[in-house]
Amino acid sequence: MQDMTIILGHYGLLLALLASGWSALAALLGAASASPGLQRSAERSLQVCAGLTVMVTVCLVSGFLTDDFRLNYVHSYSSVSQPLPYKIGALWGGQSGSLLLWVLILLVMGTLMIRTNRNKNRALMPVATAVVALTATFFMILLNFIESPFVTGPAHADGVGLNPQLKNYWMMIHPPTLYLGYVGFTIPFAFGIAALVTRRTGDMWFRTTRRWTVFSWFVLGTGVLLGSYWAYIELGWGGYWAWDPVENASLMPWLTGTAFLHSVMIQERKGMLRVWNMLLIILTFSLSIFGTFLTRSGIISSVHSFATSNIGPAFFIFLVLIFFGSLVLLIMRLDHLKSKARLESVLSRESTFLFNNMILVGIAATILLLTTFPILSEAVTGRKVTMGPPIFNMVNIPWALILLALAGIGPLIAWRKASIGNLKRNFTLQSLVGAWVLIFFLVVFDRYSFLPAVQRLFGALGRLDVAGVLDEFKTFYPALTFGIGAFVVGTTLVEFFRGTRVRVRKYEESVATALSQLMWRNKRRYGGYVVHVGVVMIFCGIASSSAYQIEQRQMLDPGQYLEIDDYLMRYDGYELEAKDDYYGSRVHVSLYDRNSGKALGSLYAEQRFHPNMMVQPLRESFLRVKELGRTGSGDYQQGVLALYNLVPGLEERAGREVKTPSTEVGIAKFFSPLQASRWGEDFYVIPLAVDPASGRASFRVFVNPMINFIWFGGLIFVLGSIFSILPDSRERKRLEAALALEERAVA
Amino acid sequence: MRLKGLAGLVVVMGLMLTAPAAADLDPVEHKIATRAILCDCGCHPQSVEDCACGRAAQMRREMAGLIESGPPGGDGTGMTGEELIGHYVALHGEQVLITPSADGFNLVAWIGPFVGLFAATTILLLMLRRWKAAQPVTADGAPVEIDLEDPYLKRLQSELEELE
Repeated sequence: MQDMTIILGHYGLLLALLASGWSALAALLGAASASPGLQRSAERSLQVCAGLTVMVTVCLVSGFLTDDFRLNYVHSYSSVSQPLPYKIGALWGGQSGSLLLWVLILLVMGTLMIRTNRNKNRALMPVATAVVALTATFFMILLNFIESPFVTGPAHADGVGLNPQLKNYWMMIHPPTLYLGYVGFTIPFAFGIAALVTRRTGDMWFRTTRRWTVFSWFVLGTGVLLGSYWAYIELGWGGYWAWDPVENASLMPWLTGTAFLHSVMIQERKGMLRVWNMLLIILTFSLSIFGTFLTRSGIISSVHSFATSNIGPAFFIFLVLIFFGSLVLLIMRLDHLKSKARLESVLSRESTFLFNNMILVGIAATILLLTTFPILSEAVTGRKVTMGPPIFNMVNIPWALILLALAGIGPLIAWRKASIGNLKRNFTLQSLVGAWVLIFFLVVFDRYSFLPAVQRLFGALGRLDVAGVLDEFKTFYPALTFGIGAFVVGTTLVEFFRGTRVRVRKYEESVATALSQLMWRNKRRYGGYVVHVGVVMIFCGIASSSAYQIEQRQMLDPGQYLEIDDYLMRYDGYELEAKDDYYGSRVHVSLYDRNSGKALGSLYAEQRFHPNMMVQPLRESFLRVKELGRTGSGDYQQGVLALYNLVPGLEERAGREVKTPSTEVGIAKFFSPLQASRWGEDFYVIPLAVDPASGRASFRVFVNPMINFIWFGGLIFVLGSIFSILPDSRERKRLEAALALEERAVA
Repeated sequence: MRLKGLAGLVVVMGLMLTAPAAADLDPVEHKIATRAILCDCGCHPQSVEDCACGRAAQMRREMAGLIESGPPGGDGTGMTGEELIGHYVALHGEQVLITPSADGFNLVAWIGPFVGLFAATTILLLMLRRWKAAQPVTADGAPVEIDLEDPYLKRLQSELEELE
């Protein structure tokens, strides 16, 4: 049976390559010769490829589930004792499995694309199918000839297992979510290229793929948020975003995708920005591929690793072909993309959208520059440098704040030309509210840091100390964020208020009915406003948890206290444990309000070590101690203590060291608005080290004010996005009519 | 209720007073150094202070030792945080710094985005002026004056806004 799955998997991949290759060829020939037969063959072939890839994936999953360690991939990322969900999650734990997941999602989406366009967009479908098939073919080439997941080796008794930090239920959700987002952008890109090739450069290519675009953007954004939350609860440093190259790789296409979503509204309304929109979708798809390339090639660790990475060169060539090939096509079709529409004023909604785009693409470009700067620096000057979180934060935050402000201006500024009256009417109150909030935060929270920061800022300016100047600006960011956030929420509320008021007056509806009807009939628009509110919350959560975070480190014995902010933490005690695939210590702490002495709750945190189960004596000892725990033996704690003493020597002999104990942090969340000073706050406990004999523990403790605003805001982002892509019968009818019109015009 | 809270506070304070205080791990100079130096575990680009891995803990201990007693083979005088940073840079190169220095080619990273922002804004404004519609003119070529504050135009504008 196991032999059969390996054979099926191996040859299934080969057949899938042939199917995707034929699909690409048939689609291109079908487009060139306008042959419906070839196009049908291409579409069927792509669906066959999808079916084969599903089969291949099932074979690989089967290898994980049956512990078939003859497969090198299964051996590297799974083990006998690995819990079932992580055996499945291990599918995307390594390179070849990730590539397989990428192409599987692409082919499923390609199949959906074909099924939903059976009776429409027939002029665009041949080239769109070719683009999807060519992308699939590239990944199939990698899987067949460079990174096959079905390479076999000796039949090991057990596997190495997944990285301990990946053994978390977020591993099941985060990577597939991200990949759905990355891959989803292939469809609007494919239609964009089809529009260029066929010279149908009107609106249809992006209107017909609007839901694909919003879905991909929303899923990618959700993936980014999930990853942040996972980092927050798992990595044990109190933060959620480290500007790691892999994190940046997911953010960049999301930013350009956001620019695209906004910018197409201008094309729909005014017929402008056709070239820019094409460029944006090319950029977004290219960045999705670049993101996968960055994650998988290891290029950022050192420029020298490029030559040793086995898929790096192939990805690089594919990326260059995609990006520059698309650009050449775009340049060739510039005449078909010219717009006669004109702007009437710099002060208009159109201009605001343009500035919004500029900032979004600018932030993406900044992240790209800083992420790749180590390679650039080494190539140009020979200097190796590190781009850590501080420079990313210092350079990006000013951009982000301008963007936030534009989110407040855009909805209310007039189309075409905003008069002084329009500006006064729409922005006076909100600007005043924003200014007051800004002053409030400066005076109440930042008053001790504000004036010294101004002094130091001028000092840094005088010395021409760029880093120093940017560092001092940090002091003003929280107040600016809250002030601008208040402005944005104000303008959004005004939009809801005005729209509801019109319906109440016109249709004599109740306020609740009017509001719900307003939103239901304009899902795209009001869903977008809800997303804006979510983004404001995220910004506020980031600002507060960064600027006002309090940290304390202390070594404690059981029974001792740690004071931080208005909390008192008591280290109650600890216990040793060995279970699943780890041993370690669990520490218990109690929280009190420092002022009133009121008990606020208790929590626990863990430090876990993951023994190398390939080392036989260690394996036996570990399993024996686990059994002691299971039977409630009195020797259990001593048994775990013995493991602590046994492991280091054995690990060194085995040639593998347990580098990183994983940490399960303890988090106490405060949601009740009745505790206003703690609303949205987390008390975050990390056990840095625990002496298993005495229980003496080194703690790192954070108070993260308003950090839960990030996750609440993320939830609102998700809800707003989903709402905006709900089916809309009026929009569907408009789209069908526009499609029919275009078909008649071309015919 | 208030009495209970007060009693609780008294108990807690009493317990605290009987428990010996524990020492803080991070003196100021140590913090200066651990915040500036990159943890070399390779997991995440994080400072020695922030990284939660075992290697970071080891580096923190090493740095604490250097701050107390200076480098091996030295005269036993401790180092300041800045001296410790310089010591690591001398040993391993400037890649150990979590934040690159703002000099030489590194200025491209520090200033480039702001220069880009300025350039992009300028280009955008110039393009917007080019795209602007030509102002309407009368038959004899005189520009048509449009008063946006005209009451009828204002009423139309506000009704259009409401319709939106």
